[in-house]
Amino acid sequence: MRTIRIMIHLMVILAACYVLPTHSVMAADPTASSEIETSLIEVLRSEASPAEKAIACKKLAVNGTSQAVPELAELLPNEQLSSWARIALEAIPGEESSKALRAAAESLDGRLQVGMINSIGARQDSQAVELLITHLQDEDAEVASAAAVALGKIGGEPATKSLRQALKSAPADVRSAVAEGCILCAERLHASGDSATAVEVYDEICSADVPQQRIIEATRGAILARDQDGIPMLMETFRSPDKKMFQLALGIVREFPGSEVDQAVADELAKATPQRAALMIQAMADRPDTVLLAEVLKAATEGDKLVRMSAIDALRRVGDPSCLAPLMNAVSDDDAELASAAKQTLADLPGDNVDPQIVAMLPGAKGENYKLLLDLIGQRRIAAVEEVVKALGSSDPAVRKAALVALGETVKLDRLSVLVTQAVSPKYPEDASEAQKALRVASIRMPDREACATQLAKAMQQSKPDSQVILLETISEVGGSKALQILADAAKSDRPGLQDNGSRLLGKWNGVDAAPVLLDLAKTGPAEKYRIRALRGYIGIARKFPMPEPQRVKMCQQAMDAAKRIAEQQLVLDVLKIHPSQAGLNLANQAKQTPELKEQATATAQAIAAKLKK
Amino acid sequence: MSNKTKQVPRRKFLKNAASVAGGAVVAPTIIPSSALGLDGAVAPSERIVVGGIGIGRRGGYDLGCFLQQKDVQFAAVCDIKQKRRGEVKQIIDKHNGNQNCDMYRDFRDVLDRSDIDAVLIATGPNWHATAAMTAAKAGKDMYCEKPVTKNIDQSLILADTMQRTGRVFQAGTQRRNLPHFAFACELARTGKLGKLKKVYAHPAGMQALMSGWLPAETEPDPDVVDWDMYLGPAAWRPFNKKLLDGFNFEKGGGFVGAFRGGGVLEWGSHCVDLCQWAVDDCLPPVQYNTPENGELVARYENGTELIFREKGWIPLGSCPVRFEGETGWVEAGDSGKMVLSSPELLAGREVAEIGGYPATFHVRDFLDCVKTRSQPKGNAVAACNAHIACHAANIALYLDRQVNYDNVKHEFVDDEAANRLRSEALREPWRL
Repeated sequence: MRTIRIMIHLMVILAACYVLPTHSVMAADPTASSEIETSLIEVLRSEASPAEKAIACKKLAVNGTSQAVPELAELLPNEQLSSWARIALEAIPGEESSKALRAAAESLDGRLQVGMINSIGARQDSQAVELLITHLQDEDAEVASAAAVALGKIGGEPATKSLRQALKSAPADVRSAVAEGCILCAERLHASGDSATAVEVYDEICSADVPQQRIIEATRGAILARDQDGIPMLMETFRSPDKKMFQLALGIVREFPGSEVDQAVADELAKATPQRAALMIQAMADRPDTVLLAEVLKAATEGDKLVRMSAIDALRRVGDPSCLAPLMNAVSDDDAELASAAKQTLADLPGDNVDPQIVAMLPGAKGENYKLLLDLIGQRRIAAVEEVVKALGSSDPAVRKAALVALGETVKLDRLSVLVTQAVSPKYPEDASEAQKALRVASIRMPDREACATQLAKAMQQSKPDSQVILLETISEVGGSKALQILADAAKSDRPGLQDNGSRLLGKWNGVDAAPVLLDLAKTGPAEKYRIRALRGYIGIARKFPMPEPQRVKMCQQAMDAAKRIAEQQLVLDVLKIHPSQAGLNLANQAKQTPELKEQATATAQAIAAKLKK
Repeated sequence: MSNKTKQVPRRKFLKNAASVAGGAVVAPTIIPSSALGLDGAVAPSERIVVGGIGIGRRGGYDLGCFLQQKDVQFAAVCDIKQKRRGEVKQIIDKHNGNQNCDMYRDFRDVLDRSDIDAVLIATGPNWHATAAMTAAKAGKDMYCEKPVTKNIDQSLILADTMQRTGRVFQAGTQRRNLPHFAFACELARTGKLGKLKKVYAHPAGMQALMSGWLPAETEPDPDVVDWDMYLGPAAWRPFNKKLLDGFNFEKGGGFVGAFRGGGVLEWGSHCVDLCQWAVDDCLPPVQYNTPENGELVARYENGTELIFREKGWIPLGSCPVRFEGETGWVEAGDSGKMVLSSPELLAGREVAEIGGYPATFHVRDFLDCVKTRSQPKGNAVAACNAHIACHAANIALYLDRQVNYDNVKHEFVDDEAANRLRSEALREPWRL
């Protein structure tokens, strides 16, 4: 009976050894879980293959208890299965697992011993401290190093004391790990409130003959553990000629508590090279809660270009309305890069009061500043239509252009008429092109495009023929069902200009919804040339838009029926060839009946048939 | 164990770097072009010397992104496969116009080089966390491909280690540096969608491909394929070439080896990561349920739901995410496109449409942070939280029941089985 059960479990586990989306073996019912554990232990006891035992170990990580420990411990000296057994032993709680790992750590050597010690460290087994302290002296540097890190993970007074001693006495190839262990201990000390001892440990590491990275870690710890008293040490680190230490200081500033450090870094700026000062400013700006804005602003407005560039960039994150005027001055800087950076920062400058201040400055502004403020209103999408409209009367074309751009970006539907007026009857004729562009930008942006098209249509009715075309083009870019209807009405109106442009714009319509309108126009349009244009637009829709094939073939059939000329019928055959289907093949075969189409229809049918065979 | 092929002193690299040619320069925003050379070349002191670890298919793509940056000097490649070492060296040498890229079999030899500032870790997921933390302890900054960790403990230790060592870490979650994903997350994060109710991620399969233990085949010479280094922290098993696919080997985190769950991690480390960004990179969800009707629902402390969903997406390409608030929603995918509940959400802004999820911007972000020591978008804490969400979802899948996670104690609430799955022993001699 027992053999049969083992066989069943072996089969299940074996099946699970490759790609398998099996359900969990974890049972919510403790009895069932115990049975699973028993069967897995039986696998370990059996003559099952290493593969089967490996998977059993993995499952015991979830289902195992102290019952499984002896069998797992048996596998620890096994080079193939030791790591599998540790997966389970590291996970199974309780003293039994810890004992097994400690015993193996004493009896094994080399890599396997390292593995045991690593697991002891991962379990933070405080009962193993004495054992690990012994292994700190191990001749095998890998073993001693593993013991040092494990002691660091466990922490506590004996572990810390031993590691501090080893920092002085350990061989060079172990000292890095000893320092790592010390740092872990110091972290625990600091976290538990014993910052004084933590500082002692960190300082000892800083003075020890250990790799630079350990010094870096200890320096960070020493500064942070000192809290505000660590600021001088942080500034000293900033002054280090070593690039890595300087970089460390940049990182620490970003996590240092309180606000005193902000002034300290600001004071340090003057002592640093421009290259370093530029980076320090970035670090200052990464402390948004306590940043000394006045210092960053000062750096943005005077001194080395590299530093100014960095500070101007930093103001994009931490600036406020007080930065407006200095940045506006910087926009007129002779240096194009500084000017450009300042303008970009102005466009992104944070702060709730920035927008109102920009608007408030507008009435008193002149020349380049006036234009700049208008640019900013557009870039920041500030709602200030009435103030911007006043700029349309300026005698400076550049100001009027900036105003139009700003209106294009900001005007809402209820004031769209401002741009309509400028587009169709500008006070200055040279503004017409820019006004039309702004009108398009604004119209496309409107959330309710149906309402927008309706308003533009009303304006059309009251406009001269030339202006109607401008508005019709805008309507076609707005899109939507209302716009489509307006174009259709224009194409079928009694005005030649509207007929021409309406049919032209319908032909360019970017959507399947224009199909019925175009087909109707192809049949009932006011002139032959518009009917042909509409039919070609209709065929174009069938050609380029995705749609169910039956719908496409139906469109082709209707186009074929509406076509009066061979040229359009040939275009239909092209569509059928590009989108092969059985129904399309039938239609191509029908087209063979038309003598002028016979040759192309035959070739089309053959091409479709060939594609359908694939 | 190590196999150092050759070492070259730093000054030789600096000399060789002068011949770097081609590639687009995207200089850090704080460095004016006037600070660069006349031809835009970067001063040796401003260059970042990089070594590659495990440069396969994905790594090859990443390598291309690094080589585009003029302030990068790629100096070394490490791979356990001899053939690949040679192939990648050729690419780098061709780019550098010399023969100076050094090859290594053991990545610790790359880390030993004092001239190397940063490493690109693009091994398989089996190695990512272990290699990253080893690199950090060796004083290197790193761009590390995802999934970054294999379990919850690794995620937490990773974040701690990067902070302790003061290293710059960038997970290969490049979508954080693509404008449409960034915009979608910004809408959610800044309340433009109203109070956030649901964030959706597309895990693309909730089942794991596992690696297991296959019949032994003749093990190649370690110089050709170093099987021991390939296994690295993974439990031992005999050589079998079917397992020699680093991209998939032990991909499911702690669930490989014949268990349900694990699949969430592959795509989750991208799309769950974006969801985490949408919730302002807060701590991961506290409750994870089993899937119902194709949706695995997790809940954050504030009630917002993180939903792993296979179907129901607007066709916007792979890796879609959707964020729903009380007043609006947004959905985005790898096509570079996004769909909004209202065009007003754009507020007139133009969002660049960049399809194909390129990593160039993400690499640039990393390099800038190497210089400024700021935190890149895919930093270790962000990656830690996103990965914990994926691991916890996998644990719910594996246990086939709800699990509840305590973000303060970093443990599942009254759930020993789930807690046992938080970590897994590494094969000797590796440790974190």
